[in-house]
Amino acid sequence: MEAVAAIERDAELMVRVREGDDTSFALLLQRHRGPVVHFLFRMVQNQAVSEELGQEVFLRVYRSRATYEPSAKFTTWLFRIATHLALNWIRDGKKEKGHESLSEESADGLERQVPDRLPNVEQELVHDVKRREVRNAIEALPAKQRAAILMHKYEELEYSQIAKALACSESAVKSLLFRAYETLRGRLAHLA
Amino acid sequence: MICLTREKKGAEILMDYCAGALHPAQAAEFEKHIEACGDCRQLVQAQSDVWKNLDQWTPEPVSPDFDMRLYARIAREQATPAWRQWWWRVSSPLVTLSVWKPAVSLAVAGAVLAVAFVVRIPGLNDGGSQIRPEKVDIEQVEKTLDDLDILTPVPQGPKS
Repeated sequence: MEAVAAIERDAELMVRVREGDDTSFALLLQRHRGPVVHFLFRMVQNQAVSEELGQEVFLRVYRSRATYEPSAKFTTWLFRIATHLALNWIRDGKKEKGHESLSEESADGLERQVPDRLPNVEQELVHDVKRREVRNAIEALPAKQRAAILMHKYEELEYSQIAKALACSESAVKSLLFRAYETLRGRLAHLA
Repeated sequence: MICLTREKKGAEILMDYCAGALHPAQAAEFEKHIEACGDCRQLVQAQSDVWKNLDQWTPEPVSPDFDMRLYARIAREQATPAWRQWWWRVSSPLVTLSVWKPAVSLAVAGAVLAVAFVVRIPGLNDGGSQIRPEKVDIEQVEKTLDDLDILTPVPQGPKS
């Protein structure tokens, strides 16, 4: 019920943006900025690039405001643009340009600050190793499988939404997800 | 009975169960089954482990100036003339390859067709070859007439 209300709210806000209400655009940005940039970050694994692509997503939404028709879920449309941009970026081979890691030094030469959420250093290190293994395992997946699994696991999109975002059928999405999870079960088995 | 190894939709059930998206009645039935089925229990355990491991990967927060940069881009775009906005969009590196790939293919196909059409137009290139036989014919006729002149016996004068 809450989800339905949220979907309707998104469409309503976008209709208002179409009518020239920039406050509604700010609200949409506030609601979806995080999920979109996080999805892009997990896709391209580079913070700066994910934010750049995220800006492009919202810029395209803003440019398309005049022609917006609430025929599909707003989030589906948003993730379709984000997926398209991320897959293009990966396909064009821009991945090699820079790869950030939480354990590596940042651009200004300072060690990246990791929030102190765990009680001791040892646990923090174990957590860091696990996180890196997860990142590597996801990075090794084919781009479409990666996109599907990220939308399913982290964004909790429905099969039909993922299918629209990837421009394929629902059964193709289920097949992509099954293969991706099967690969991850094998690659991450040692972490269990 | 829901058994992942026998059920046609086994993969979907496994994914939905671990995502907590399976219908409660179906989930209860499945839980009853995995108590007795070792294979399904093993699969569920492995999938749950993947699910937990994926939870370890929390992304970094979005930069605080994200919105400010976006609004600056929007303002910049709105301040530029429409034709330049259009040019930026079509020449943007984020879209060029996917958008232009079919356009380039179509342009090349069109160029090939145009060249083929020009080459095959009757009267442009074929015209020259049509004129030449005519010239040859006239020359031949003239030469033949000359030859005939040579062959024509010179009238002899009266015998003296």
